Amino acid sequence: MSTLEIIQNMMVKQFDLKLEDLTPTAKLQSLGIDSLSVIEFMFNLEDELKIKITEERFELNTVQDIATAVDQMIAAQQGNA
Amino acid sequence: MARRVVISGLGVVSPLGHDITTFFARLMAGQSGIKQLKLPFLDQLSTRIGAQITDFDPSAHFSKMQLTSMERFSQFALVAAAQAVADAQLELSETEQPRAGVCIGSCLGGAGSLEDGYTEVMQRDKPRVKPLSVLLSMNNAAASHISIKYGLQGPNITYATACSSSAIAIGEAYRKIKHGYCDVMLAGGAEAMLTLGAIKAWEALRTLASEDEQDAGASCKPFAQDRSGLVLGEGAAVLVLEDAERALKRGAKIYAELVGYDCSSDANHITKPDAAGQSRTIVKALHEAGLQPQDIGYINAHGTATMAGDIQETLAIKNVFGAHAKNIPVSSTKSMHGHLMGATGAVEFMAAVLALEHNAIPPTINLHHADPECDLDYVPNQGRIGLNLNAVMSNSFAFGGSNAVLIAKRFQPA
Repeated sequence: MSTLEIIQNMMVKQFDLKLEDLTPTAKLQSLGIDSLSVIEFMFNLEDELKIKITEERFELNTVQDIATAVDQMIAAQQGNA
Repeated sequence: MARRVVISGLGVVSPLGHDITTFFARLMAGQSGIKQLKLPFLDQLSTRIGAQITDFDPSAHFSKMQLTSMERFSQFALVAAAQAVADAQLELSETEQPRAGVCIGSCLGGAGSLEDGYTEVMQRDKPRVKPLSVLLSMNNAAASHISIKYGLQGPNITYATACSSSAIAIGEAYRKIKHGYCDVMLAGGAEAMLTLGAIKAWEALRTLASEDEQDAGASCKPFAQDRSGLVLGEGAAVLVLEDAERALKRGAKIYAELVGYDCSSDANHITKPDAAGQSRTIVKALHEAGLQPQDIGYINAHGTATMAGDIQETLAIKNVFGAHAKNIPVSSTKSMHGHLMGATGAVEFMAAVLALEHNAIPPTINLHHADPECDLDYVPNQGRIGLNLNAVMSNSFAFGGSNAVLIAKRFQPA
């Protein structure tokens, strides 16, 4: 499963959203996912993907933005290992 | 010129049910909400009983998204507030919002999230504290959620005065209307502290009731010779308080007029209840209400079922009411709903207001042999109906010596 798909499935579970609404370009805000919910979601992502979310601040506006940020972190953290 | 304040809406989430009709019916029937606790950490506790709410489904009231940032005590408070607002058929215009507010009492706020955070930090090598812990656990979360939901732009205050927290929240909200600062207030209390740390702390203080061997539900025995302490509970109660003129103008249903309140301190001892301090509080509340002792038809006692507390409260009532003390029905509904801590004053004042509304007094259950030092009419085991009540009083006496008394009277338009 791609990172995007993992994220989409987790959003369905955590926020009771419909998978078909979670297109890569869907705006988090229009899905009702506010900045606090994003923080909570990233926290749960750490568990799910066994990664460490870095302190770096990302600009996260869409579902794809989260997937991209996470992929970057995974690449960076595997590089370090 | 002080204004008159009425109660126009009630809401409750309690161990005796989640609407005022069920709540009061169960009180009148003498049913107990105290039972064997159902908690994952039961094997770490000595106490096995509590007035736990086991039939509350958060997902019936809130979306998963909302629940991410909403602790159990806030959930209780919001559900009770929604009932009260619906009951009052309350609507606020944009110009009214800045003159509407909320006062909530709570002892431990979001105790569950706070404890989860501590457990994580203290017990794990690499702690991961949930990012929203602060928002979940902060004591003023419940009041703030209510303020946001109903657009209450006036005061939003949380009181923490232990067992009198929500009585004081109601009293202070009443004064905001009475003295012209606000026109509408949502007031009450919320508590959800059946957590491992909180229960262990109460166990250590040795004030919790031992379990009745025959019937766990009968473990809290206020004023009885065989009483052994209080039973922890959880829940919320919220009332709509309103300027009487506003309520009359819109033809609101009026349960009662809030006519008297006082908060005074024992200034004596951190735990030991003090009849002198309690008496002062009752006297001042009666004075504000403009009532004589014989006008009070029912007292909902603080009645925690601790050895010292019940005797001191009995003394205080006798001090103030003199010869009339024995004629006043006094009951402790904690025998049924337990001690809801920060929410208990509101739940009990609501019980008193409903008693006035129905001319019916709920009993003190589990009272078969009264302590000789507790010699008032405690309405033992059997509620009374068909009465003719005009004014009722609710006592709340807290650890720390912070006492509160509220008095409600049947509303008579001027």
